[in-house]
Amino acid sequence: MIRVGFLINPIAGMGGTVGLKGTDGVLAEALRRGAVPGAAKRAKTALSLIDGGPVHFFTCSGAMGEDALRETGITSFTVVYRGSEMTSEQDTRVACRAFIENNVELVLFCGGDGTARVIYEEAGDRLPVLGIPAGVKMYSAVFAVTPAAAAGLVNAITRDGWSGRPGSGHTGVLLRDTEVVDVDEDAYRNGELRTRLFGFAKSPGLPGFVQGTKQVWEEREEERAKDDIARFVYEIISATPEILYILGPGTTTSAVMQKFGVEKTLLGFDALKDCRPAGRDLNEKDMLALLERGQKARLVISIIGAQGSVLGRGTQQVSPDVLKRIGVENVIVVATPHKVRETPLIFIDTGDTALDRSFGNYIRIITGYHIAQRKGLGLPSGPERPEMTDP
Amino acid sequence: MYIFVQGILVGMQTRILLDEDQIPQKWYNIIADLPSPMDPPLHPATKKPVTPDDLSPIFPMELIRQEVSDRRYIDIPDEVRDVLRLWRPSPLYRARRLEQHLKTPAKIYFKWEGVSPAGSHKPNTAVAQAYYNMKQGIERLATETGAGQWGSALALATQIFGLECTIYMVRASYEQKPYRKSVMQVWGAECIPSPSTRTNSGKAVLEKDPDTTGSLGIAISEAVEDAKTHDNTNYALGSVLNHVCLHQTVIGLEAREQLAIVDEYPDVVIGCVGGGSNFAGVSFPFAGDKLTGKHPDIDIIGAEPSACPTLTKGLYAYDFGDVAGLTPLMKMFTLGHDFVPPAIHAGGLRYHGDSPIVSRLVHDGVMRAVAYYQNEVFDAAQMFARTEGLIVAPESAHAVKAAIDCALECRKTGEAKTILFNNSGHGDFDMSSYDAYYGGKLIDYEYPADLIRDSLGRLPKIP
Ligand SMILES: Cc1ncc(COP(=O)(O)O)c(C=O)c1O
Repeated sequence: MIRVGFLINPIAGMGGTVGLKGTDGVLAEALRRGAVPGAAKRAKTALSLIDGGPVHFFTCSGAMGEDALRETGITSFTVVYRGSEMTSEQDTRVACRAFIENNVELVLFCGGDGTARVIYEEAGDRLPVLGIPAGVKMYSAVFAVTPAAAAGLVNAITRDGWSGRPGSGHTGVLLRDTEVVDVDEDAYRNGELRTRLFGFAKSPGLPGFVQGTKQVWEEREEERAKDDIARFVYEIISATPEILYILGPGTTTSAVMQKFGVEKTLLGFDALKDCRPAGRDLNEKDMLALLERGQKARLVISIIGAQGSVLGRGTQQVSPDVLKRIGVENVIVVATPHKVRETPLIFIDTGDTALDRSFGNYIRIITGYHIAQRKGLGLPSGPERPEMTDP
Repeated sequence: MYIFVQGILVGMQTRILLDEDQIPQKWYNIIADLPSPMDPPLHPATKKPVTPDDLSPIFPMELIRQEVSDRRYIDIPDEVRDVLRLWRPSPLYRARRLEQHLKTPAKIYFKWEGVSPAGSHKPNTAVAQAYYNMKQGIERLATETGAGQWGSALALATQIFGLECTIYMVRASYEQKPYRKSVMQVWGAECIPSPSTRTNSGKAVLEKDPDTTGSLGIAISEAVEDAKTHDNTNYALGSVLNHVCLHQTVIGLEAREQLAIVDEYPDVVIGCVGGGSNFAGVSFPFAGDKLTGKHPDIDIIGAEPSACPTLTKGLYAYDFGDVAGLTPLMKMFTLGHDFVPPAIHAGGLRYHGDSPIVSRLVHDGVMRAVAYYQNEVFDAAQMFARTEGLIVAPESAHAVKAAIDCALECRKTGEAKTILFNNSGHGDFDMSSYDAYYGGKLIDYEYPADLIRDSLGRLPKIP
């Protein structure tokens, strides 16, 4: 029996149907334009695919969870929070605290990036969080690709347990670090994507083995892969101490820093020179100062968000100016095999199109010790891979 | 042979065949035509050149003699030629439909080694090796296999000559291609996933990494250890060594005859490269023509995976042939004997080193190499299957890709080059790999050579 906190943000996803992007702060306008709540429907799709037997849900009253559970015929649940009719951020927050008090081992929620951020603020990086996508914009990596995929992951947890725990062998569901990304909705409504990395949650992911075919692959558990990458990057940095290394946000780059005995700012950019810290949480001006006088530098950066931006407009510290000084050939992208697999589209969006193009059609991603993968770089509109089928 | 209908050439020959009695009588030993001797293999402990006595615990005397021979031609025993009759001479095809599809002025010929019972070129040497071991009274052979092609070939050959056979199969392939194991069983061999707990080398690897996908380097350590620790048992290697390359030269010798029948001599010769044996087999007779000045301009190209780019990104240095360091040190292109290549589907090309002769010829500029990603290789295999009908092994598909690229280049330049490539095996047991390709699951691995070089402090360690 696993204990799952379950919550719906009933107004998530409403803006999209009436031509608004996101609902935070524009709910009244959305309702006026005739938006219909869609989150409940997507949540029910997921619930109907979950093998209910071994799950006990802790949830909220009415539209925030209880209704959907009832309507899909699930009876094993306890309402631990009674909220208001017009739900708000505060409801999500308090419900989440109630889940934690009830020792849930997973928070399953249906909502958008805004909901993800609020839950992350409460759950932190200890309690696993899994999103059923409902909002119009899902840049955070805590979301499963579809409601069905979310159900599949819950079923995998009840069937195989968590990877790395006793008895689970290779089959358990692994925990991966997932970026919680906050999108500036005002800017987004004006057609501009400006994301901010908010933090790293823990979310369930498929095991490191491709299921069904029982094929053994290079993808191993996340932590292991992360350590392989960190070991490789550590050796590169140690052997080229004269180069200034700027490490971007994330847990993989943190693992690299750890090998030097240095604590990394999780969300910021830190620098290393001569294997020693050369700056913490750098802004654009700090970086430009470090790059004075032709200092040779490399930027080590991970893939951020479900949409897979490598240098998005959210990473404003690394301005086009900074990047030009470092040189695109000196950008080392790192990501675990799992992250690469779960990210169908990888793109670079620095705000300077010519600079974006100078990365070429492909990007090399370090995915292990002495191992890299080549991936096609997409425009945010769709991936590209030159086909060879017709000469 | 050529039929003209109203001035248009139709019905040209597609398969160029030789009779059974045209199976070569002798293997061609390219060492005789090298301008200077090869750097000798070194003993792993003493670092002195190995002597025949060092090798005799695991190889029969005749193979050791061939390994170090500098005679230009070496007789193929009648008993071996008799077995080769089961599928040799293999056909040479003109890939006319592929040419038309590519709209290339180039002529593409390929040697089809998929007609052997085991499905690849590997039995060409397996038969010879089993024969010489049998002659010396050996009862069992131990070997490794990557994709399963070599294991199948040795299983077949040992069955024919009445030997037992133990095969350590790289675990990634063992699970990707379960029917290869069944094939080996049909031919009476025992097939074990490697690393295994049978050997100390296997145990050591498993202790460090219980989830390892294995590699050819590890499996070789296991098989060598097995042979060293059992008196009645010898070791057999499916590639890399001089005598293996020697046995494979029947491919190129036949191809040269077959091309002569249609009045051709290739401008380009191509093969895929794992340990280098099929590439050696198809190309050495032509490389010999190049070395001796008969055809100085021929372009000889080895195609390897970007995930394991030994010839294009490796170092030319002395290194071990296996992970545990049990084999002699050989001068070759290497990515380091401890490199475990990512689990690409061309399992037979996952080897950190390469044939010392092929390495030497690449180093000397007699041959060159190119590297390809998995997806583009399967794109090529698909095109080949849809034009020529044959579904090739993922390994062979690297050669197909190189041939297609070469033909497309000809379309650009307008040159009507004659291209010969070796099509080393069929893909009948590789359909899970094709499935992965269609499922979008093939990862384009690459070897970050620049960063690895940096990480070694720009001073790679040579053992
Ligand atoms: C069909 C096929 N081609 C090529 C190879 C590569 O080996 P080599 O380079 O020795 O020819 C293999 C090895 O397993 C193979 O099975």
